[in-house]
Amino acid sequence: MALIRDTPIRQKLMTMILVTSGVVLLLTCAAFIGYELLTYRRSAVQQLATLGEIIAAESTGAVAFDNPNDATEILAALKAERHIVAACLYDRQNRIFSRYPANAPDGVFPSAPQPDGYRFAAGHLVGFTPVVQVKGSERFGTLYLNSNMSVMYARLRLYGGIAVMAILVSSLVAYALSRLLQRQISSPILALAETAKAVSDRHDYSVRAQKHGGDELGMLTGAFNHMLAQIQEQNEVLEQRVRERTAELAAANDELEAFCSSAAHDLRTPLRTITGFAEVLLDPRANTSPEEAQRLARMIRDGSGQMTDLINDLLAFSRLGRQAMARQVVDPGQLCRDVLKDLENEKGERRIALRLQPLPPADGDPALLRVVFVNLLSNAFKYTRPREIAVIEIGATTEPDSSIPVYFVRDNGVGFDMRDASKLFGVFQRLHHAHEFEGTGVGLATVRRIIERHGGRIWAEASPDIGATFFFTLSSSSTA
Amino acid sequence: MALLTMTACRLRRWTTPGPRLAWLCGLVLLGFTSPAVAAVPAPSAEYQLKAVFLFNFAQFVEWPAQAYRDAKAPLVIGVLGEDPFGPYLDQLVRGEKVGDRPLVVRRFQRADDIKECHILFISRSEAASLGQIIGRLQGRSLLTVSDLDTFTRQGGIVRFVTENGKIRLRINVEAAKGCDLTISSKILRPATIVTADKD
Repeated sequence: MALIRDTPIRQKLMTMILVTSGVVLLLTCAAFIGYELLTYRRSAVQQLATLGEIIAAESTGAVAFDNPNDATEILAALKAERHIVAACLYDRQNRIFSRYPANAPDGVFPSAPQPDGYRFAAGHLVGFTPVVQVKGSERFGTLYLNSNMSVMYARLRLYGGIAVMAILVSSLVAYALSRLLQRQISSPILALAETAKAVSDRHDYSVRAQKHGGDELGMLTGAFNHMLAQIQEQNEVLEQRVRERTAELAAANDELEAFCSSAAHDLRTPLRTITGFAEVLLDPRANTSPEEAQRLARMIRDGSGQMTDLINDLLAFSRLGRQAMARQVVDPGQLCRDVLKDLENEKGERRIALRLQPLPPADGDPALLRVVFVNLLSNAFKYTRPREIAVIEIGATTEPDSSIPVYFVRDNGVGFDMRDASKLFGVFQRLHHAHEFEGTGVGLATVRRIIERHGGRIWAEASPDIGATFFFTLSSSSTA
Repeated sequence: MALLTMTACRLRRWTTPGPRLAWLCGLVLLGFTSPAVAAVPAPSAEYQLKAVFLFNFAQFVEWPAQAYRDAKAPLVIGVLGEDPFGPYLDQLVRGEKVGDRPLVVRRFQRADDIKECHILFISRSEAASLGQIIGRLQGRSLLTVSDLDTFTRQGGIVRFVTENGKIRLRINVEAAKGCDLTISSKILRPATIVTADKD
């Protein structure tokens, strides 16, 4: 069984075809020869019975009137039937009355007639026919006929020979045909197997199996090719993703390095102030006046305050990455009003025109969105400080090719050069000097991080001394 | 059947006539002359065979319908003159039938006595008056049989002759036709066909 399982499919198919055709032929030949044997035997009996009737009828006179010579003459006519090897007539007293061949010894014939009828015995057909003139009347004797069936057996042998030849020839033809025909099935399978082997050996998913037709094998080949195509495509997607991730990681790494160096740098600036003033205070030779000491101490306090701000901002920024987000429907208008109330203190004596347009509801984390508006609005307050009348506008539009709301905060502040737009949202990236506008350089980076966590986008449009507008969305058209 | 087998043995043995036949004839004669002898002796083997032949004729000859009284009427085998068969012939035909007809043996002393008869054996004893007898029977559907030498020449139908120890038939077919009898060709085959002029 295992042997059959492991033989190649070509051989299996050919064996199947050959065995099937061989068995069919064998059965057909057997049936034919069996039928022939049966009919031949039957017709042989019939022929011999007819012959027996004729000879018996013919010889009634000779037997009735005791004329053996005449009877021998009648029997001699059997010469024409070559298969009759012996015949004799028994008289009324069951003695051999005349014989054929005329000189045959007694041993050739049964010593006495047997029951009437015909039967096969050892390659011979023998029969006994009554010799009667008038049916139902007195019986004169019995005719014995012995027919050699060797003619029949010779014919059967001939049939057997023909059958064997036919089986041999048709087996050869079947072999040749099966060699040709099995290719229809085996070659697509072999091609498929070859392809599969090539794929698994070389990990080359660009190979394709050749499709031969629209049958199941064709479908199999098609499906196989389709699978290969999918694997190839997925591989490419995966590689692309790996490349992207690597680039992202590299970028993040760069950002982290930049962050570290600028954090160190930014922390060092107030620290240097603190250290410097503290050394002046502690120097016994400086002979510092109490007023001067007071001023220095204030400077130190400001420096450490600045550092505390910086550290708080950094902590808040880094917390953003870890904090869980709770999205819900938020009214950004209300959020803005709350934030503006808090910023009231910073406003002081300044003249600021606030224009708050109705805003569509937003889907996001209320605490984080508050951070966004706090940063954007405090920036707007900060950078409009040189203006006599600051104009700050909060509104919303939609993206040109979708219904996603785009929120914006516009001011008529100092603005910036669009060439620096790329630096805007980096950590510790500042476009203005600290003595012009105070700040830690973490605010817009925090905003960007929040927007990106929501799946949105932030960008700015500005021109120096005219103002700046910050736009953001809370979801992208591709993920919406 | 026992009788038949017994007869067969005798028939087989009977090959050459001669002194033995004479002896047997003597025995028969003795039987006739002295009725005191209780057992009727069997006829000679020759006559046993002839009796069988007489009986066999019934199967090979067809008589016209008017030769019988009716459909069931018996087929009569007659013996004219001195009977050489004795009771043997009677025993032979007893219970036998040809078709539906039973076989009957009748003995006649004179030709005029013959009324209903189909096969008539004319004994040697009638040699002298043979011509007269045949003349009397002219025109009747009667198969005449005899072993007299001049029988067929005188118009008889079947004559028994002995050749090489075998009994052979000589048949005058013309005479048979004249009597409106149909003789099977199968009987003609082992027989010799003769005419009244040429035998």
